[in-house]
Formats: sequence, structure tokens, C-alpha cells
Amino acid sequence: MPADHDDETRDDTLRQAIAELRRPVALDPALEGRALARIRAGAPTHRIGSRRGLLWLGGALAAGIALALLVRPPTGSPARPGPTLATAGTQPTRAVLIRLAAPASSRVTVVGDFNDWDPAATPLRPVGDSGTWTVELHLKPGRYHYTFLIDGRRWASDPSGAPAAESDFGAPMSVLTVG
Amino acid sequence: MRASRLLLLFLLCGAAPAVAQDRRLADRLDPTTATTVQRVVDSAAREGLPTEPLVQKALEGSTLGASGERIVAAVGALHGQLVRARDALGGGASEAELTAAAGALRAGLPPAALRRLQSLRTGRPLVVPIAVLTDLVAEGVPPEEATRSVLDLARAGRPDDEFMALRQQLRAGREGGMPGPGSRPPLRPAPDPPVDQ
Repeated sequence: MPADHDDETRDDTLRQAIAELRRPVALDPALEGRALARIRAGAPTHRIGSRRGLLWLGGALAAGIALALLVRPPTGSPARPGPTLATAGTQPTRAVLIRLAAPASSRVTVVGDFNDWDPAATPLRPVGDSGTWTVELHLKPGRYHYTFLIDGRRWASDPSGAPAAESDFGAPMSVLTVG
Repeated sequence: MRASRLLLLFLLCGAAPAVAQDRRLADRLDPTTATTVQRVVDSAAREGLPTEPLVQKALEGSTLGASGERIVAAVGALHGQLVRARDALGGGASEAELTAAAGALRAGLPPAALRRLQSLRTGRPLVVPIAVLTDLVAEGVPPEEATRSVLDLARAGRPDDEFMALRQQLRAGREGGMPGPGSRPPLRPAPDPPVDQ
């Protein structure tokens, strides 16, 4: 069948459909009357655009946004506060002095359950020329695993702390209990 | 109204995954390990278990240069210990108590010891007694003896400081030249303080 004939047939069908759709629809006069009566009476409708629908929509949006803000940590920061922010928690914290004698070292940091095991988060400061390094942590009650990183390359447990019974990854490990 | 309710449901469902997402895992672990650990974390959350210890275990492995396989194994093992700890202490235990109890079970202490301790410390925190019990065992005290000493303190209603003192007693004994746990005198709770007349 030629293509031109196909086009003509399609156009004809389309014209008939349009004409049918344009024909006025005769409504039941009683139905029209009931509808007008409801509009005059101000009966509520269930469209989203109605006032009540808008209230629901607003409430839903507010609830969703509030929930998302509550459960999502701020971008770029961990969910758990770092050691300097630990006092901001609802539970009381206790000051804990961490100390290590490392006389021949140029840099000492401590990593543990309290600082997301971040080697840059908690550096110790040297106490004069004594070779001792210290830092004060503020921790909630709990049991924490930790270890020292000396000069960025050597792990060391805390000689004055309790040794950890277990070390999952082979590094020397200590445990700290805060009551 | 129905459309609004559907929208609310959609928003709630859309927000729900954010509860389980932890950017620290994605930032610090390779994608496969992060996904697997996240599944364990999600599972723990659904079970009502603390999730932070699991995240910390994964971050520990990452910092210490462990393989993804080893990290997943350690996180999975800790999840199992937390389940057992919750079974022992019940759903009312705090995150810190469950974490301490998981360590105690890993050290070889029986769940019954934790339950007994809990029954003797009703309404008081269990973190320190459990931690001291674990430390005693870790330092070589036989579990039965360590349990007896800690339960004696708990039975007497002693404060946390006295549990810590019990551990210091052991350390002092070791630093004083005691050759080993076998020749160590038994641990004793501190005597009762004098009563003012």
C-alpha cells in the first residue's frame, strides 16, 4: 500500500475523532443543579489545590524535611563529635589525661573509638623537654580501644593503660574505661 | 488528601535510608567493603543494636591498614558479640553497656556472669564492673576468680571507683614482681570502711 494513501486514511480518522470530541456533551440538568448547589454551599472538595489539601501538603513537606534533617548528619562532618566537641553531648563527660613517654619522637597522636580512628584528629603535646606527651580527652562513660601513632609510622600501646584482650588488626592496643 | 498522604509516605520512605547511611564508611573504605559493612550496620539498626561500635571497628581496620576482608570479618564478629550481649543483658541495656558486655563475652566470660552482675546492680550503670571484669581476665586472672571478686563488690553495693581499685590492685601486684597469675594471691575487694559511731 502506498505511503500517501496511508497518510490520507490516518488524517481522515483523526478528523473524525476530533469532531467527535468537540461535540457538546449534554449533561443531566439535575446533576448540574446539584453541583451548582454544592459550590454555592462551599462544600469542601478533595482536590490537592483546596485549602485542606494544601495544609496536608505543607504538613507532609515539613515532616519530611524535619525528619531528613534529624536523621542526616551534616555534610562533611562525622555523626559522632570529635573529642573537642564531646562535652556538647547530653551525657556527662569526664576529662581523661592521656600520657605517653616518647622522648625521641617528633610527633605523637592517639587514635581510638573516641575520634573515628583519625590519626590527625588528636595530637599529643610535649610537656617541656621531659619527653612526655599528653592530651586531655573529654569522654562519655564507656569502654574505648585506642593506640598511639608515633612519628606517623609506628604504633604503640599505652604502657600505663590496660592492655586490650584482643586486637583484630594486629596493632598493639589498649583499653580505657570511663565510668 | 490521599495525594498528600502518599506524598508524606514518599518523603518518609525517602528519608529512611538516610538513617542507615554513614558517610564515614564511604569516605574511608573501598566501595565493596563499605557496602558490606553498611549492610551489617543496617542489620544491627533493624535489630535495635548499637551501630556506632561497628562503624568504629571498620574505621579502626581502615586506619590500621587491614584488608577489606579482614575488616568485614571483624565487624561481623562484633555484630555477633553484640547480639549475644543483648541476649544476656536485655533490651534495656545502654550502648556503652552492650559494647562492654560484647568485649567481656569475647574475652571468654559466660553470659550468666553478666546476668548475675546485672541483677546485683539493678538501676546502676554496668559499664565499669563489666570492663573491670574483662580487664582482669585479659590480664590473666581466671574467669571464675575474676567473676567472684567483681560480684562480691556488686553484692556489697560498692561504687565504680572500688571496681577500678580492684584492677589497680592486680596491676600493682604484677608490677611488684609477682611472677604470674598462678602464684598470685586471690583478689579481694576492699574491706568495709569503718562506721562512725
